[in-house]
Amino acid sequence: MVSVPSAGRVQQHISAIASGFLGDWLEHRGNALAVPMTVFADGEPLDLLNPRPAAPGSVLCLSIHGLMELESVWDFPGQPGEHYGTRLAERLGNASALKLRFNSGRPIYRNGQDLAALLERLVSNWPVPVTRLVLLGHSMGGLLIRSACHYGAENDDSWVRLNPDCVYIGSPHDGSWLAVGAHKAAGWLNRVPRDYLKVVGEVIDLRSEGIRNLSRGEVFEPGTAHQPLLAGARHYVISGLLVRGEEHLVNALFGDALVHEASARGARQPGWQLTGTANFPGVDHIRLAHHSAVARQLEEWLV
Amino acid sequence: MKPTHSNAHWWLGVADLLAHGVQHGAVKLQRIHLSVADESFRVLEAIPATRHSSRIVRVCHHEISRLSYTGLSLAGRAAAGLAARAAAGHARKHDLNVNNS
Repeated sequence: MVSVPSAGRVQQHISAIASGFLGDWLEHRGNALAVPMTVFADGEPLDLLNPRPAAPGSVLCLSIHGLMELESVWDFPGQPGEHYGTRLAERLGNASALKLRFNSGRPIYRNGQDLAALLERLVSNWPVPVTRLVLLGHSMGGLLIRSACHYGAENDDSWVRLNPDCVYIGSPHDGSWLAVGAHKAAGWLNRVPRDYLKVVGEVIDLRSEGIRNLSRGEVFEPGTAHQPLLAGARHYVISGLLVRGEEHLVNALFGDALVHEASARGARQPGWQLTGTANFPGVDHIRLAHHSAVARQLEEWLV
Repeated sequence: MKPTHSNAHWWLGVADLLAHGVQHGAVKLQRIHLSVADESFRVLEAIPATRHSSRIVRVCHHEISRLSYTGLSLAGRAAAGLAARAAAGHARKHDLNVNNS
């Protein structure tokens, strides 16, 4: 049976896409299309001052989506509500699977600061003491985790002392080739002495701060010196490739369609000590968020 | 965390975005239209037989186009202003209801 998305679901997707493209502008105007940062448990939004999930566990597993996505990107195809978090929670026991929704067009560092504050409230107000925190980030979501870890450590937040497990799934730590390409194309078109080409360049250039940050893998406030990965935490990297043959030219050119394997591993980031890395040839960028092989890898690492 | 906005507020947000699209899109379309037209007028100006008449047509064409696109852009601006005011009023009403409940 083909499932038809409800009008509310369509509206949420429109909001997520509009937020990704113009989220900072929408927020500045107080436009209702700007997606507020919200945590969901079993599909219901949580009140962070008094979270009352159905069965609170002492292990929190928070899944964070990427640019222009919704938390539904994590659901396995044909299995709504089933995702990496629920699989891990099942295997770990005494765990709660949570999902985050956020305005992906805002600057990444601002979302990171808000995520750090949100985690602090969530862990402080959780009905049972939290003993472990697992953070799963797809694409931009992984960059948000790095940003939140930095600001959480800077604020001496209690959740940072839990030494979280941070999993970066297809996250462009060194930038995304598509975003870099769009930036270069816009720059070239703006230099051409023809007004109609300049307009095309301006339209390409019309994008949110979140997308600009993504193109360069920027996760900290401008002017901040390079920051290492959060000490004490465990950091895992998962990357994908479009074609099964690892050495295939398509993979060398496009990676998982949006992110190259080297960028996903943070090859240009100095001093990174990763706890685990895994590459999945034949799994593209979006499918990395809900693939059974990735689920097995996560269980192997985290259970 | 902000309260969830109502459906009406969401549609006002869409109207605000679309109106801004019309306002700024009209300006960009005007630039594309005039610069593409200029390419043709440059060719006509290079031919002595059509030079004089093409200059007159060019001025008329550009003025009519500017008038049309400016009208469209102003309509978009007015619509965006209305949508923003309506959304602000709606948000105030929503906040009052939340505070009273």
